[in-house]
Amino acid sequence: MAPIALTRMAALAALAALLGTPATADLAEAVDQVITPAYAGLADAAADLDDAARQDCAPAAMRAPFQQAWDAWARIDFLRLGPVEEQGRSLAIAFWPDPKSSGLRAQQALVAGDPQVIADPALFAQVSVAARGLSGLERLLYPSALTGAEDRLCALRRATAADLARMTAEIAAEWPAHAALLTTPGDANTSYLTTDEARQALFTQLVTGLASLSDGRLGRPLGTFQKPRPERAEAVASGRSLRNIRLSLEGLRDLALALHPDAPLTKAAFDRALALAQDLEDPVLAGVSTPQGRLKVEILQQAVQSAQAAVETEIGAALGVSTGFNAKDGD
Amino acid sequence: MSLRRRFPLVLCLLPAPVLAGPPEVVTTYADIALATYGDSLSTAQALRRAVGDLVADPSPETLAAARQAWTAARVPYQQSEVFRFGNPIVDDWEGRVNAWPLDEGLIDYVAEGTPSTEDNELAQLNVIANPVLELGSETVDAATITPHIIRALHEAGGIEANVASGYHAIEFLLWGQDLNGTGPGAGSRPHTDFMAGAGCTNGNCDRRAQYLVAATDLLVSDLWEMTDNWETDGPARAAVTADPQAGLRAMLTGMGSLSYGEQAGERMKLGLMLNDPEEEHDCFSDQTHLSHYHDGLGIQNVYLGRYVRVDGSEVAGPSLSGLVAEADAGVDQALQADLAATMVALTALRDKAEAGMAYDQMLAPGNQEGAAIIQAGVDGLVKQAKSIERAVAALGLDGIAFEGSDSLDDPNAVFQ
Repeated sequence: MAPIALTRMAALAALAALLGTPATADLAEAVDQVITPAYAGLADAAADLDDAARQDCAPAAMRAPFQQAWDAWARIDFLRLGPVEEQGRSLAIAFWPDPKSSGLRAQQALVAGDPQVIADPALFAQVSVAARGLSGLERLLYPSALTGAEDRLCALRRATAADLARMTAEIAAEWPAHAALLTTPGDANTSYLTTDEARQALFTQLVTGLASLSDGRLGRPLGTFQKPRPERAEAVASGRSLRNIRLSLEGLRDLALALHPDAPLTKAAFDRALALAQDLEDPVLAGVSTPQGRLKVEILQQAVQSAQAAVETEIGAALGVSTGFNAKDGD
Repeated sequence: MSLRRRFPLVLCLLPAPVLAGPPEVVTTYADIALATYGDSLSTAQALRRAVGDLVADPSPETLAAARQAWTAARVPYQQSEVFRFGNPIVDDWEGRVNAWPLDEGLIDYVAEGTPSTEDNELAQLNVIANPVLELGSETVDAATITPHIIRALHEAGGIEANVASGYHAIEFLLWGQDLNGTGPGAGSRPHTDFMAGAGCTNGNCDRRAQYLVAATDLLVSDLWEMTDNWETDGPARAAVTADPQAGLRAMLTGMGSLSYGEQAGERMKLGLMLNDPEEEHDCFSDQTHLSHYHDGLGIQNVYLGRYVRVDGSEVAGPSLSGLVAEADAGVDQALQADLAATMVALTALRDKAEAGMAYDQMLAPGNQEGAAIIQAGVDGLVKQAKSIERAVAALGLDGIAFEGSDSLDDPNAVFQ
C-alpha cells in the first residue's frame, strides 16, 4: 500500500508541475463557490427570521421564514469544521437526534424558570444547545409537547430566532479566516500543513455527510423491517424530513464537484440519488411503515450509499487522500 | 576467544533497527492489551469477592468496599478502550461490558420522571421487581435472575439503552440513581437495599442481590474471554499481528477514533453543550473524571509502547512512537507533546473532581470554571487526533477508513 500511495503522490505532483495548475485551485473553488455563499445565505435567512419574529411572534407569521432558514442550513449542515464548530454552534443550530428529549426538557425549564434567561441574549446563548436553534423553534412553531403561557412562549420564540441570527452572522463573519487557512496550506499554518491535509479535511466532511444521510436521516426512520420507526425521522413536525435530505444532497454534490469537477461517476451517482429524492412523494418518510413505501426509502438510501462509494473511489483517489477522523467514529 | 567474543557483538548491533519494525511494534501492542485485559479481569474478580461480601452481610462498610472495588476495576478497563474501533473482536464484544447511557429502569426501581430513550417500551421493565417479564409478545420466566437472563435482556427490543450487563449496570446497583442533577452528590443507594428480611428497603432485596451477583459473574466471564483472545494463539492478537501493517492501522484508528469522535465528542463536548448530567459517562458514581483520565492514559500507552500494571510493574517494548520517529521525527515529537498535554488537562480535571467539584457539577449551566476544565480536555483530544492523522500519513498508512474500497484493491482505479 505504501508504494502505491507514494507513486500516486509523485505522479500527481508531476502532473501538477506539468500543467502548471496551482495545487489549491480545487480548494479555492470549494470555498468560493460553495461554502462562503452558503454561510452568507444562512446568515441572511436567519436575519429575516429574526426580523419576522420581532414584528410578529405568532407561529403562523414565523413559519415561512423559519422554513427558509432551515433550507439554507440544510444545504451546508454537513460541514463540521471552522467557525461552525466553535461554541457548539452546529449543535445549537439544529440538534438531532435527541433521543432523551433533552431539548424539550431544557425548553420546558426555560418557560418555567427565570424570565431573565430568555430576556438577556448573553444568558440565552449559554442555554443547552438542544433547546436552541431550528430544533427549538420547531417545537415552538409546530405542534409539540411544549406547554406554557403564550407571552412566555412568544418571548422564547423571539429569543431563539435572535440567537440563531447571532450565531449564523458570527459564522459568516468568521468563515473567511478559516477559508484562508484551507486555501493556503503550509508550514506556518498549523491547521493545514499541506494541500493534502486541507483536501483531506473537506473530503472527510463529504464522506461523513453522506454517511449521516444514510445512517441517520434515512436509517433512523427505516429502523428494521420488523420494526420501522417513522416517528424517528428528522423534523417531522415541520414536514421537512425529505426536504432536508434533498437539500443536503445538493450541498454535498456541489462541494464534491467543486473539489474535483472531472468526476463523472460521482456526478451520476448524485444525480440518481437526487432524482429519487425528488420523485419520492413522502415528505416525512411515513411510508417506511408500508412495504412499498419502505422499499422506496431503501432504494434512496442505497443511492446515497452509492454516491458515498463514488466519492471515495473517484474523488478520494484522484486527490490522493482518504478520510480522517471524524465525529462519527464513536459508537 | 576474541573472535568468539566479537562475533556475537556484531550480531547484536546489526539487527537492532529490524527489531523495532512493525512486527515488533504490533507485538508490544498485543502484549499491552493482554496485560490491560488481564488486570481488568483480576480487578473484576476482586469486585466479585467484594460483591459477595456485600450480599452476605450488607452494611455501610461492605457497600463502601464493593464501591471501592468497582472504582479499582475501572482503572485498567478504561485504559483498554483504546483497543476498540479497529478490531472487530473487541468491538463486537465491548457492548456487553461497557455500554452506556442506560435506561436503568429496565433493571430496578427509579425515581418518577426519570428521562428515558424515545419509544423504549422496556424503560420501566424493572427486572428486580418482576419475576415474570413481558417482552413484547414474549413471556420470560425470571424467577431466578441468572447470567443467562441478563444476557437475554441486554439490548432488548433492539434498543441500545436497554443495558442489562456490564460495568454501568453494576454501578447502578452499587450507587443507585444520582438525583442531584448538576448539584453536589452521587447516587446514594442504602446498603439496606440488599438486606434480607424485614430490614429490606425498596423491596425485592433478594432479587437485587441476585442481579448484582449474576451481573458481576457475567463481567468476570466476559473479561476471561477477552483476556484469552489476546493470549499467544488468541484471535484478537492474530488480528493485529498477522499483518503488521493492518495492526499499525488498527492501533492508530483506535487512538484517533477514541480521541476524537468518542471521547472528545460523545462523552465530553456533547454533555457540556447540553449541560445535561444524563450525558455523564459514570453518572451513578460520579467517577466520570477517572474514566476520562484513564481513557486518555490508554491512548498514550499504545503510542509509547508501555503500560503500568495495577501491581506497579511495567510492560514495555518497541513502540509506535519509535516507528513514527524513524519516518518523521517532527510528527513524532508533536504527537508525543499533544498526548502529554492532554494528560495534563485530564489530570487537572481528575484533581478538580477529586477535590470536590464532581463532573456533573462542572456541566452545570453557568459553571464557567468547570466548563473550561472539560473544554481543555476536549481541545487536547481534538488536537492529538490531528497529529494521529499525521502519523498515519507519515507511516504511509493512508486509506485507514476505506479499506476494501476499489481505490486500494484495484490500483488501476487510482488513475482512472
